[in-house]
Amino acid sequence: MNKTLLHGIVAGLLTALASISYLMLYESILYVDFSQILNVGSVGGASIISGLLIAAGYLILEKMNKEKWKGGLNVLIILLSFLSILGPISISLPLEIDFPELFPGLAIPMHFFPALIFFGLQPFFLKKT
Amino acid sequence: MKTTTQFTLAGLILLLSAFTLNNSINWEISQGHSIKFSGTDAEGIFKTMTGDITFDESNIDSSQFSFKIDVNSINTGNGMKNKHAVSSKWFDASNHPSIQFESNKFSKTDKEYLVTGLLEIHGIEKEITIPFSFINNSFVAKFSINRLDYKVGNTKGMNNKVSNEIKLDVTIPVTSK
Repeated sequence: MNKTLLHGIVAGLLTALASISYLMLYESILYVDFSQILNVGSVGGASIISGLLIAAGYLILEKMNKEKWKGGLNVLIILLSFLSILGPISISLPLEIDFPELFPGLAIPMHFFPALIFFGLQPFFLKKT
Repeated sequence: MKTTTQFTLAGLILLLSAFTLNNSINWEISQGHSIKFSGTDAEGIFKTMTGDITFDESNIDSSQFSFKIDVNSINTGNGMKNKHAVSSKWFDASNHPSIQFESNKFSKTDKEYLVTGLLEIHGIEKEITIPFSFINNSFVAKFSINRLDYKVGNTKGMNNKVSNEIKLDVTIPVTSK
């Protein structure tokens, strides 16, 4: 299997594991229930997709022989991660959900997990030159 | 003996009718009440309310409504908006913790009832007439207020995004006391 694709899959799976663990801990410690918005299925699915999307970006650069642009892609991924936190800040949850003020504290850290884990695993998936 | 029985029966009927009358006019607010507000860029609910309701469909002049809504129970679905809503820029909940309504007069049209009373929001009292219906032990009212009449927010800057007219959709299920 292509090493970059494997990197994306492993990063996606570990992101899912980290995000689901954080979700369960957060909800049990703070006695909140945001399962209408974030649950094991949606968080797991989004995590795996995000790992694969980052890997897809890398694969495209490899196909184009633009490996030097990977630094730029990393910066773009970080920027997108920061911009994406506007979502949980501005969202209006269904009105029957209590403690909406605790939602950003759950969702925002998760937006950084994919980049953090993908970049953290990079040394394990370096290609021999 | 016959006279005594007749008096006893009449007394019983009077006593029972008194209970029936009492049951039909005093109401207790049940769980599941809903106070929704909506306007451009402002939507939410107030979760906590208390009140005394005296309402008799056959004698509406004797009716009386008194409601108190906890401003701090506002929920817009967004924690930061909730904090902003109770701040001094909007409801100023620390100085005006409740929204209150006291009825003065009731009337009836072909389709619905009308209650006129004093609505106090943000410490400002205004007379208002609210149409409502009473179906299946639930009071239902849909009406609008102008938030600027009560000095809730203003029209400066981003506050202008919130419409002045705010629609209210109130449902209060009740059980007889």
